[in-house]
Amino acid sequence: MNLLPFLISGLGIGAVYALSGVGLVILYRSTGVLNFAFGAIGALGAHVAWQLLQWKQPLALAILAAVLVATAVSFLYGRIFAPMLSHRDTVVRAVGTVAPALFLIALMGVIWGELPRRLQFPTDQMFLALFGVRLTYTRLIALVLAILMVVAITLLLNRTRLGLDMRALANDRDLSAILGVRILHTETAAWVITGIFAGLAGLLLADLVRLQGTFLTFLVIPAIAAAILGQLRSLTITAIAGLSVGVAEAVLTPIAWISPYRAAAPFVIALAAVMILGSTSRAALRDR
Amino acid sequence: MLKTLKVMAAGLALSLLTAMSAHAAASCGDGSGKAAEGEPIVIGAITGKTGPDDFSNSTKAAKAYFDCLNANGGIKGRPIKYVVEDDQWNPETAAQLGAKIVNDEKAVLMVGNSSYVECGANAEFYKKSGIYVIAGVGVPRECFFAENYAPTNAGPRVSMLGAMGYALDKLNAKSVACIGPNIPNVGTWSCEGVALLAKEKGFKADVILMDPGSADATSVILQAAASKPDVIVLGMSKGVAVPLLTAAEEQGLNQTITFLSAASAYDLSVPATIGSGWDGKFFVNMEFNDLEADTPDNKNWLAVMDEYGQESDPRDTFAQAGYLAARIAEKALMTLDPNNITRETASAAVRQVKDFKSDIFCAPWYFGDGQPRHNANSTTRMAVSEGGKWKVVSDCAPSPDPELKDIRAFEATMK
Repeated sequence: MNLLPFLISGLGIGAVYALSGVGLVILYRSTGVLNFAFGAIGALGAHVAWQLLQWKQPLALAILAAVLVATAVSFLYGRIFAPMLSHRDTVVRAVGTVAPALFLIALMGVIWGELPRRLQFPTDQMFLALFGVRLTYTRLIALVLAILMVVAITLLLNRTRLGLDMRALANDRDLSAILGVRILHTETAAWVITGIFAGLAGLLLADLVRLQGTFLTFLVIPAIAAAILGQLRSLTITAIAGLSVGVAEAVLTPIAWISPYRAAAPFVIALAAVMILGSTSRAALRDR
Repeated sequence: MLKTLKVMAAGLALSLLTAMSAHAAASCGDGSGKAAEGEPIVIGAITGKTGPDDFSNSTKAAKAYFDCLNANGGIKGRPIKYVVEDDQWNPETAAQLGAKIVNDEKAVLMVGNSSYVECGANAEFYKKSGIYVIAGVGVPRECFFAENYAPTNAGPRVSMLGAMGYALDKLNAKSVACIGPNIPNVGTWSCEGVALLAKEKGFKADVILMDPGSADATSVILQAAASKPDVIVLGMSKGVAVPLLTAAEEQGLNQTITFLSAASAYDLSVPATIGSGWDGKFFVNMEFNDLEADTPDNKNWLAVMDEYGQESDPRDTFAQAGYLAARIAEKALMTLDPNNITRETASAAVRQVKDFKSDIFCAPWYFGDGQPRHNANSTTRMAVSEGGKWKVVSDCAPSPDPELKDIRAFEATMK
């Protein structure tokens, strides 16, 4: 069986998993929050874009609005609710984000319903033919965007004052506060950045997978798998892991005995990662 | 003089108004407009309202019909008390609610049931309790292989094979790939039917089972297209069928392969959602008549929904199923002495139902007394996506499902 077509087909979604994973890691590194609402925030943005396109607004405006709405929601949670939990355990802070996720699922259900919709970009119609498969420009954009964002965030962390503050927070929150790092300011910046990631990932997933609130919300799980493989630290490893999760899921398709269960691939990979990397991840958590 | 004119004008306006509303008046029961005030007859139903999907449209429509019936004389003066419970897609809950309706509420009959899990959980219990079910929508195999359970719909397998039959007869298909959900007794059951028919008729069939929760539709489509089939038949819900079609269009497969689906993708929103790329290229099977059909009983269904249902109740094929189930129950109960309606007499009356005609069905519905299983609705239509709408393209045709042999044999004895 020729696996190459499936490899190509997995690249697009893998790139979005990578993008989402990096968005999760950047937030976790600066604030210690694992954001379960990441998918829901992206889904909300995508729905807004769909609505604007229904109202015959230009595509650029729809994309901009999607990212803005996602960023705004992420900012509001990060500025208002997240600080209330900032002195609690990592687990409590992570579980706290389930609240906005559930709220957003309900909100999207009320406004747009659960019927799947189709969000389309003109780039869906343009493609490169590789190994008998069409690699659409949307997938290429997802790949390029994932790479660009990793580079941009790496530069931000290494070259800017904000990046320095973020890295300081990641190492020792209390010590950073004593040294004059503006904690709330830095954390809010991280929430804004993760919101931008969520908006972009939501748009791409709504196009590549389907525009359906609940479904997109739960696509945060493969991204968490990628983030765990990156030990919630390394942006590059997270990005590569996200890509691999997407490709692994696709490449398992033609293998008949495992094919019906391949949707479990991200979970199995994450489980294996936790078992293998468990001790080191715990060490990372203790750092905080 | 002026006063007389005013009165006349008012009278004219009033009679115009009545005339306008009269053409859509719902017709139920004896049509007397007199509310039934006797002792209520308890009818139960189990539906999967909350959970992965809302299946309660069937019971909503049945309730609308029963309300209409109660407002028009009921069952010879006795109103229906319709008890609907939500099993939340949980077999254990379904079993508890079944016991509640049968033992505590002492229902004489169950009507309009539509649940993914209830048939498997309760079929045996219903048989033991001697209660009969005229269901709305049956999905898994268990709903069509139970002694006391008779759905009004055709079911995913019969519907999928209806689509397959159309592909063979009208589209000259010589090979097929069947994509179904990896849910036992639903997807496997449906695609096995296609494989069985392929063996009998000598065409080529591939079976692909997918996790409906999978994000990666493109790979499934690539896998299905790998064997270069003439047609691809889908057995997925509309929520999964739409992304599969999107992925297929992205790969340009709508140009080379014709796609068909079981009735699960028949929803008025689908053609507009998938867009013009699928005009004339995506066919769907219909278990019932066109939702917008201008035929007397279909119009009556819509009128009942308008007058007695909620505005928000969907007017979809599940609702048609619930309406029909309620009408069949009415027909059965009307044969009884109103002072002697018990579970025993109601069951006997349901067993005797035959030749129930409605233009929403393709063929008359019957219960099938003494049969170990029931699948009276096995004749279906096809529609194609065209300009954002479904266009009905075929007359009623019997589904070529090889598993229907016993049903066909029984139908032959009825004639």
